[in-house]
Amino acid sequence: MTVTSSGEPEGRNALQRVLSDVRYRSLILQAITLLSVCAVFAWLAWNTSANLAERNLSAGFDFLDVSAGFGIGFTLIPYQEGDSYGRVFLVGISNTLLVAVVSIVFATILGLLVGLARLSPNWLISTIARSYVELLRNTPLLLQIIAWYFGVFNLLPRPRDSIELGEGFVLNNRGFYFPAPIPEEGFGIVLGVFVAAVICAFVLFRWSRRRLDQTGKAFPALPVGLAMIIVAPTLVHLVLGSPLSWDIPALQGFNYAGGMAVPPSFCALIVALSAYTSCFIAEIVRAGIQSVGRGQLEAAGALNLPGNWTLRRVVLPQALRVIIPPLISQYLNVTKNSSLAIAIGFPDLVSVWMNTSLNQSGRAIPIVAMTMAFYCTVSLTVSAIMNVYNRRALIKER
Amino acid sequence: MSAPAIEIVGLNKWFGDMHVLKDINITVRDGERFVICGPSGSGKSTLIRCINQLEQHQEGELVVAGVEVRPGGANKAAVREHVGMVFQSFNLFPHITVLENCTLTPTLGLALPKDEAEERAMAHLDRVGIADQAQKYPLQLSGGQQQRVAIARALCMAPKIMLFDEPTSALDPEMIKEVLDVMVELADGGMTMVCVTHEMGFARRVADRVVFMDEGEIVESGPPDAFFDAPTYDRTAQFLRHIL
Amino acid sequence: MTTLKTFHPKPSRPAPSETVGVVGWLRRNLFKDIPNTLLTVLGAYLVVSVLAWLLDWAVFNAVWEAENRRECLDAVGRAGACWPGVGVWFENLIYGLYPKDQVWRINLGFLALIAWLVPLWMPKVKSKVAIGLAAVILYPLLASYFFLGGEKGLIWTALVGAGLLGLVWVWATALSEQMTGKTIGVVLLAQAGLAEAEEEKRRRALQIFAVVALLISMGVVSLWSFEAVSTRLWGGLFLTLVISGIGITFSLPAGILLALGRRSDMPVVSLLSTLFIELFRSVPLITILFMFNTMLPLFMPADVEVNQLARAIVAVCFFATAYMAEVIRGGLQAIPKGQYEAAASMGLNYWQTTNLIVLPQALKIMIPSIVGNFIGLFKDTTLVSIIGLFDLMNMARAIGEDTDWLGLFIEPFFVVSLIYFVFCFAMSSYSISLEKKLAKGRERS
Repeated sequence: MTVTSSGEPEGRNALQRVLSDVRYRSLILQAITLLSVCAVFAWLAWNTSANLAERNLSAGFDFLDVSAGFGIGFTLIPYQEGDSYGRVFLVGISNTLLVAVVSIVFATILGLLVGLARLSPNWLISTIARSYVELLRNTPLLLQIIAWYFGVFNLLPRPRDSIELGEGFVLNNRGFYFPAPIPEEGFGIVLGVFVAAVICAFVLFRWSRRRLDQTGKAFPALPVGLAMIIVAPTLVHLVLGSPLSWDIPALQGFNYAGGMAVPPSFCALIVALSAYTSCFIAEIVRAGIQSVGRGQLEAAGALNLPGNWTLRRVVLPQALRVIIPPLISQYLNVTKNSSLAIAIGFPDLVSVWMNTSLNQSGRAIPIVAMTMAFYCTVSLTVSAIMNVYNRRALIKER
Repeated sequence: MSAPAIEIVGLNKWFGDMHVLKDINITVRDGERFVICGPSGSGKSTLIRCINQLEQHQEGELVVAGVEVRPGGANKAAVREHVGMVFQSFNLFPHITVLENCTLTPTLGLALPKDEAEERAMAHLDRVGIADQAQKYPLQLSGGQQQRVAIARALCMAPKIMLFDEPTSALDPEMIKEVLDVMVELADGGMTMVCVTHEMGFARRVADRVVFMDEGEIVESGPPDAFFDAPTYDRTAQFLRHIL
Repeated sequence: MTTLKTFHPKPSRPAPSETVGVVGWLRRNLFKDIPNTLLTVLGAYLVVSVLAWLLDWAVFNAVWEAENRRECLDAVGRAGACWPGVGVWFENLIYGLYPKDQVWRINLGFLALIAWLVPLWMPKVKSKVAIGLAAVILYPLLASYFFLGGEKGLIWTALVGAGLLGLVWVWATALSEQMTGKTIGVVLLAQAGLAEAEEEKRRRALQIFAVVALLISMGVVSLWSFEAVSTRLWGGLFLTLVISGIGITFSLPAGILLALGRRSDMPVVSLLSTLFIELFRSVPLITILFMFNTMLPLFMPADVEVNQLARAIVAVCFFATAYMAEVIRGGLQAIPKGQYEAAASMGLNYWQTTNLIVLPQALKIMIPSIVGNFIGLFKDTTLVSIIGLFDLMNMARAIGEDTDWLGLFIEPFFVVSLIYFVFCFAMSSYSISLEKKLAKGRERS
């Protein structure tokens, strides 16, 4: 026999006995690991403090109240040049979240469509969807963002020759302009009616469910509820004489004024992020629906369950369990990927904070720490949500 | 006797270029217990799946419970109303409880009130002996229990005909009996049954007629005693030697 | 018993003609019913119009000869591509600003890599693991001298010599195993007439032989003298491949270690690994690049200069490692407990269990994800352009800022996209085919 691992010969000294004991060995190993990590950090900290002292830099957070003194091209929350660095941080966060949310909405819609097209029995449609997915996901996102920016949105005509996409929606090389709503007196009533309609629709939905349980008769609650939500506020709106006016952008001199506007960099970012993310979402949707086995569909068919109920009660509940976790992590990816905004000059968190503010103030350590803290917070929140969902959605097994 | 439960005349089916069912002619009487056996790949599962149109045939006439099925499967729903099916791999819906599995179609397809559907479901679950597991999820049960739930689920649609596609092939030996007992009980109750199965003991005991299929066609058929004791064809005898 | 009749199966009839062949396929997949037919028509219209527009732009209306972008615009405006700009810059797209007369070193370096890897596809070669390991450990030594050049001391010479010897050894092994089925050691000993000598003597002979070979190879290397090329001149596809290559070779072993660390029973090790993985996975790569770009000079002693390429590479490696660790951990989790129990019952210790039982299976399961990670890393290297390196993408962007070709963005991006697509698509197709092959192997066993 050549195996000697456990049966140590006797007569060795105490040190060797300690070393051969798995528990002690693990303790020693951990102590060494901990010590070396601490040593590395101490060395880095020591170097850093020496470097900071030499360059007369400080690592404190006191600069947050100091006026930043630079302008930001696009802000979601109000910001002026004289505002503090703390405000710049908030502007960066709000811009990043705006890009993320808008891209997520578009990417989900697009991804759902492409994913369903991928599953189409029509060969041509599924092949087109497949080419779309392969083309977009096999080229770098940054390249796509930059190509959309320099290749499309930057080359749009000047404001005077703008592309009109319908009343009040204008696209030119200064950005995308669209009407801004201005509520007037009485609009509160319309909003109130809208809220009431939503509540009514909800109650209707509950009632129809109960009726289905009691009598077995289905009531088309979804279309009726939707109609109620749309029709009632519209009627009130018209009766009150349309108490909502629109500030429509109009050409004044060399540029458009009025309405709301987003810069070309924002458009490029949204289009590229949505398109890129949509192919991953499409694959997730496809995998999720395919995960519901053929047997489940055959069983539903053999039970003569009507088609729309098969989708709602058999396919979707099972597919969503597979779809939602990776979908949420795609949403997280969108948030992280929105940091590529810096390449085309859109003022997101990384761009205004980690780049401009860092260069202006020189406070590398607090700025890097705050940026990292923001992304870590988002990521931890998302994974907490995911854990809760996974625990609730688990299919019970033995 | 009333009109036949199932009448198949000159049925042909191809998968791509492969001719999987060749000129099948079968008449199943009302209340008849009909067993189909044969080696794997002989087309027996495809045949039973054509009856409730999970597979569509290309040629031939098929009348199920008085409903004429045309090639192409345009009126599948009308046929399936009268036909319950039990699969080899149970195919229970894993995300809802046993009871909800049984009430799904009665409430949504047959528009029964929930109370009534549940009452009916409990009656059938009781009949197959698992009423006490009604609130559990399918994957919490053993294979035999799951297959009995599947039988109860099919019965909840009040079918005239029950199809069994190798219902015991995916089960451990000790669970086969509990499922067969339920099937025997069902047969004794007078249900029209078409079973694809290799359980020859079951066939001998309850079948009115046994059919042997090979290469996509019916080799021979007859009452179980004659079929098992004096087969006409060498192919049948060879198969029986292997399986018994 | 009466005699049995023989069963003659009826001959198969051909299927109805409208269900098979081209007609059947078309009916099933394109013209099943009216909505389906409408979809087909719509899809065909879409495909044809996109392709026609693309061909018009890229080929029929394109300008192939011009001095600058003005000439292109005068000739066709924006209706056709302006390829001369890309043509003039093409060498820069591939090699960056590497001195033109030294470019052969890059070519030679990549040829050496190909030569190194070819034996992996030879059917009779057995020592594939050793060849792969040598490629990971020894090839970078050889390549870095080819790419960097410059003065070399004794140690540097020895390392580069080891790299060269590695390449020679790979081919000697490959040839001897391919032709004779014996390892190179056995062949050499037979040549020296020591085939029958005792174990100790044979090992000594091989050691001596290796040392002599290393000395010869060092001698060869010391004859080489390549002029130094600063990493600031590196760029284009070359730089992209260098960064992603280093990232890939570093992240796989480091990711395995971190994944094992995270699953370790030792709380300290597991906690530290988890912290590292989660930190680097929850922040975007660009923040890591920025962090290393601004903080590395602060972290290092004042007299240590870290060049920008090195900072970018460190950031990419850390980032890729964290992601790789999570992929590997997924594979480790998929290994059933029974495998560990079986290994323990055979008396294997932790490292034996890990290396012989767990890792080979985990890596095999995770091949698609690992390759997916490589693809992601390859695409992510474009981010180094943001901290000012001229990788393939940034080089393409630079064309549009050249005074002769001002505003020429779409054409270079088109070409560069194609390059990225070819690389990524090839990798993913290879991984899919590998996956299918492995799946077949599992079925059979």
